[in-house]
Formats: sequence, C-alpha cells, structure tokens
Amino acid sequence: MDTTQLLKGVLDLAVLAALRDGDGYGYDILRRLRAAGLDEVGDASVYGTLRRLFAGGFLNTYVVPSDEGPHRKYYGLNAAGHAELQRSGKVWQGFASTMDDLLRERETA
Amino acid sequence: MNSTAQDEITEYVERVRAALADLPEATRAELLEDLPEHLAEIRAEDTVTLTDRLGSPEAYAAELRTTAAGFVGGFPDPPKRRFDPLLAARADVLRVLGRADVRVGPVIGYAKASDFLVLLRPAWWLLRGYLAAMALAWFLGAQSQEIGLLPRIGNSTLVALVLLAGCVIGSIVLGRRNLRLGRGPRYAFYGGTAVLVIFALGAFFNADDDVRNPGYNDVGYSGTSSGGGNPYDYVNDVFVYDSQGRLVPGARLFDQDGQPITMGNAYCEDPDTGETQHTRSMGYPYCPEAVPFASPAPTAKPSFADDGALPTPGESSPAPAATLKEPTPGSVSPSR
Repeated sequence: MDTTQLLKGVLDLAVLAALRDGDGYGYDILRRLRAAGLDEVGDASVYGTLRRLFAGGFLNTYVVPSDEGPHRKYYGLNAAGHAELQRSGKVWQGFASTMDDLLRERETA
Repeated sequence: MNSTAQDEITEYVERVRAALADLPEATRAELLEDLPEHLAEIRAEDTVTLTDRLGSPEAYAAELRTTAAGFVGGFPDPPKRRFDPLLAARADVLRVLGRADVRVGPVIGYAKASDFLVLLRPAWWLLRGYLAAMALAWFLGAQSQEIGLLPRIGNSTLVALVLLAGCVIGSIVLGRRNLRLGRGPRYAFYGGTAVLVIFALGAFFNADDDVRNPGYNDVGYSGTSSGGGNPYDYVNDVFVYDSQGRLVPGARLFDQDGQPITMGNAYCEDPDTGETQHTRSMGYPYCPEAVPFASPAPTAKPSFADDGALPTPGESSPAPAATLKEPTPGSVSPSR
C-alpha cells in the first residue's frame, strides 16, 4: 500500500497536529512532519494544506521579519482549529482502532 | 537573497500557475497567494535550486492540485454547530414545503406556489399594517369594549383612522425596505409577526361567532319565536284602548284561526299589600290598576277592579253624576 494515498486523507489532521505544539512557518511544519516519520509528505502538500486550512478559518497567520533571510509567514491554530483538531483526532482514533481490530481478527482467524 | 534566486522563484511560481490554469481563478489565486514567500523560505534553507529541491514546477503543481480539493466552498468539515437536531428538522420541513411548492404551483397556474405568494406580498403588508393597528388598539386598553372593524382607542373615529393609516404605511415601508437585521432583532420581528397572526386568528373566529349568534336584542326583528327568543316573553299584561283612547276592559284576543291568544301573567300584585293573587278579570288587562296610560277622560279606570264588575266593552255606563256630560262612572258608579 502506498502511504502517500493514505496521507491524502489525513494531511489536514497531520498539519493541525503539527501546529498544536506551536506556531510555525511552511518549511518548519514540513520538517516537523518529516521528523515525526511522515517522510513521503511533499512541500506542495503542506503548503497547499496550510492555505486551505487558512481559507477554511482554522488558522491565523502573521509575518515575522527576519534579519538574514526572507520574512517568514507563521501559521497557528485558532479556536476553530483547536476544535477541529480535537474532532478530527477522535474520528481518526476511532477509524484507526477499527482497522486495528479488523486486522487482529484476520490474524487470529 | 540575490536577484538570481528571486528570478528563479518568480519563474517557478509562474510555471506552477500555468500548470494550474484550469482551476477556477479564485481557487488558484488563493492557492498561490503565499507561494513566492514560501518558496523564498525554502530557497533560503538550501543552496540547491528549487527544481532540485522540490522537483519540477509541474510536479509541484500536480501535488498542490490534490490539496485544492474542497478548496472552493471552504473546508469539507465545518465546525459542529449547536442545535444540529433542530437544524436538521428545519431542513426536513423545508424539503417537504419545497416539494409541496412545486406540486401545488401548476394547479393554480404557476411554476411554483411561492411564485404566486410573492405576488401577494404587498397585500400582506396592508393586512399586517391593519392587524398591527388593531392589536395596538386592543392592547392600549380597549379590551373592555367590543372590538369593531376600526382600531379605536376611545371612541374617536379620527384617531382610529390616523392610527390605521400610520400602521399601514409603516408596514409598507418596512416591507419595501429589505431590512438587514441582526439575529436578535430578526427573531423579535418574526415573533411579532407570529403574535399578529395569532391575534388575527383569534379575532377572526370571535367575529365569526358573533355573527352566527347575535345577541337577543336582534331577535325582535324576526317576529318569530325561533332562535330561542319569543319577542313577547317580557309581556306580562295587555292593555287594549279603543279609538277614543279609552281603556277597553275585559278584552279578548284571537288569532286568524279563532284561537284565543294567551299571553302575559294572570297574577296581579296588590300595590298596597304586596300580595300576589290570581286575577279576577276574565280578559285583558289582567291587572287594570297597573294601567300604563291614563285615559284622556276621567274614565272609571279603577272602578272595574274595585267592584270586580266587568262592563261589556263598547257599552257606556250610566252616569249618575249630573254635573258631567260624559259617562264618567266614579268609584261608586253602579255597573249593570
């Protein structure tokens, strides 16, 4: 099975979760996801997901000036984003445990 | 950042934009809005070119495209709202109404029934103004008096007409102006309309009731005993006067079939003692002493009762008093 296919469904949740511990800019969030083990996630996916979550009203954003490099656009969870993270997280956990049970039955059968 | 890097970024963004040319303009703009800044961050992290780092702009665009699903119309999973069951019920009702709308429409010659109702809107504004005036008049202390057709406060017709005109004009203005109300005022507006409708229904059925069961005072016009009210029920006694204005004692009444007409109460109350006893009179009046009109001439009004004699109607009694030409039997006059 291709993890990129699975990732598509949960990319929103993954990005929301990556932002839970603190605000971050695009490349920063990509790094967090990869550090967490999602090696296949692409930059365009993270960037596009951030844009979409922002358009959906789940993120706030602000620009932090930088001395050496370009200005960085930070994203952070707002109240709706926190609520969505919690809700989607429960959906995922329910789904994951269902899959776990299903696979376990198959093994014992 | 040097100009080479800037040029590289600009070119990369343009190629991504071109690859997404088929997306709706709003979606594409939303998607690409921050891309130059984003790529600048990435370019600053690494020394390699963007194409080396991210792949071709076309591949980048293809990946970006997959995240664009659901971009239009917002996030696919909006935050949960309260009152979800109520909203669902409302959606069900609206769906049923919508179906009825389309079904009923052709029957009355319109595509949808609501098309016809929209035409009636100004009529509703008029009615609403009238109802508002009536409700206002009713609430302003007119509950005590009977509600008519005009919104009267007190008894002035002028005030009623002014109030009516004001309310109707206000209602039309309110209807013509497409008010953008906040949630609170809007619900207050709907509540007020509901109160008016309930008031109107109540008043309507009240009026219907009044028309079908008018008060007893109207029954007299019918002249019959139907409808639960004999117009002669209140009659206790009958006094017959001749063409000279003289009281006819012992009169008998008959209908066209020769049937005696009996009405009244054959008991008399003695004004002195207060006793009630059966009349001694064989005809009307039962109680001659209670005569309502005195006869023009001093006829022997009380005499008949006093001696209990009943002279034959139309026959004059002899006049014993020589001073009077007219037969005027006094209390002592003998009867035959």
